[in-house]
Amino acid sequence: MATRQIELVAAPRSPHFVGDGFRVHNFIPSGYCLDMKRMDPFIMLDYNSKFYFPPSDKPRGVDVHPHRGFETVTIAYKGKVAHHDSSGGGGIIGEGDVQWMTAASGVLHKEYHEETFSKEGGDFQMVQLWVNLPAKDKMSTPHYQGITNAMIPKVNLPGNGGTVEVIAGEWNGVKGAATTYSPVHLYNLKLNAGGKGSFSLPETYSTGLLVIEGSILVNGEVKVESDHFVLLENSGEEFTVESMTDATVLLLSGEPLHEPIVAHGPFVMNTHEEIVQAIDDFHSGKFGKLD
Amino acid sequence: MLLKPMVEPFRKYLQNKAMVRQEHLEEIMDMVIHKSIDKGEFLLQKGQVCTHSFFVLEGLVRFFSIDQEGKEHIVQFAPENWFISDRGSIFFGKPSEYFIDAIEPTHVVMLDSGFFHKATAISSEFRTYNEYLLQNHIRQLQNRINLLIGANAEIRYLDFLTLYPNITQRVPQWMVASYLGITPESLSRVRKGLLSKE
Repeated sequence: MATRQIELVAAPRSPHFVGDGFRVHNFIPSGYCLDMKRMDPFIMLDYNSKFYFPPSDKPRGVDVHPHRGFETVTIAYKGKVAHHDSSGGGGIIGEGDVQWMTAASGVLHKEYHEETFSKEGGDFQMVQLWVNLPAKDKMSTPHYQGITNAMIPKVNLPGNGGTVEVIAGEWNGVKGAATTYSPVHLYNLKLNAGGKGSFSLPETYSTGLLVIEGSILVNGEVKVESDHFVLLENSGEEFTVESMTDATVLLLSGEPLHEPIVAHGPFVMNTHEEIVQAIDDFHSGKFGKLD
Repeated sequence: MLLKPMVEPFRKYLQNKAMVRQEHLEEIMDMVIHKSIDKGEFLLQKGQVCTHSFFVLEGLVRFFSIDQEGKEHIVQFAPENWFISDRGSIFFGKPSEYFIDAIEPTHVVMLDSGFFHKATAISSEFRTYNEYLLQNHIRQLQNRINLLIGANAEIRYLDFLTLYPNITQRVPQWMVASYLGITPESLSRVRKGLLSKE
């Protein structure tokens, strides 16, 4: 099989705050060529690189906001996030956990630093990834998959090289913890210094690596530092990731939906009419209530 | 961006309702003007060409006309988070037939055509949302005309309560009656009729 080459190594763009609790570098859709079409089915990736938040009595975060038409995937590396939504759901996303929220027909939710974390302060590091839903599923019923770290299957790499946490999809015959609406592979690679993983993913899939910690060598030739995003070409299948130091890498790969995308902030639909409907539904309270 | 605490509710509205992105907000918020008016003070009077749309930060205003006999007819109320203007006068540059005044001490944001040109040019979210507001306004006007020519006072009153929840506690009865196109006595009968149905 052919090697999948690197298309781009994207440096983190200057950070901005989402609410007052998330200091993020946006990679998808605003960074370089990482737009919604190129990254289909991934429509947004905000990365809160490791950032120290001092103690605060009032938890920082993002107040009530809606979503419709896609899934939000929150991956916590450092710190804890509490969330509540208009269907009465809520919970805490702790270090190593993943929350996979299918917003679908619409939810209101809010996300804050968990109370104890907020009071004590500390390093905070998270990824929020939005995965688009196929047109036929955009108006399905919203639901959550709260995935604790213990629920995520872990596969050891050869030679004490580290582990691959299979959040979604499949790796080496091991199925991930999350259920998805279209084929998506999402792994956390936890590599020991000198560890190496080989991956083979369909060449049509939009595929990238976000280096969370440490530095890595991709395909044995390109060194990538932490907080950088590697976009892989859509030709060839196989690539390797080696770690120079202990490293954590988020690998994402998804089959493009090839459907029209019309986005309006937190509403991502297929047509302008569906966006107007979303605005109207939001205004008339059809997303429910959340204080 | 200049810090303008008074207009903060408008920034929040643009961010949370219109979904305008942060980087665009910073560019357009510099163009808004804050204005405070006392109860009874005018934002627009008949004969003037309306040059601004108003967004109500705090307080309550009404949009009305005065007929040949000197009687007032309230066309619209605008509480917090509502826009109000004489769209026809602004767009066509013609003198207005209407008045806008404050029912309570009120703070508004004044938005001129420069604001709308800039905001629609840089923010696709604002563009979509502004079109939504216009279409929604037309929908409300059509509904209002339809109810005025075809529905009884009770149905019109119930529609008023849906559109303006909690406003009956903020305005005198005669203003509600004026909005509905009935006498205060008729409004009193409608209210009693509804009470007896409970």
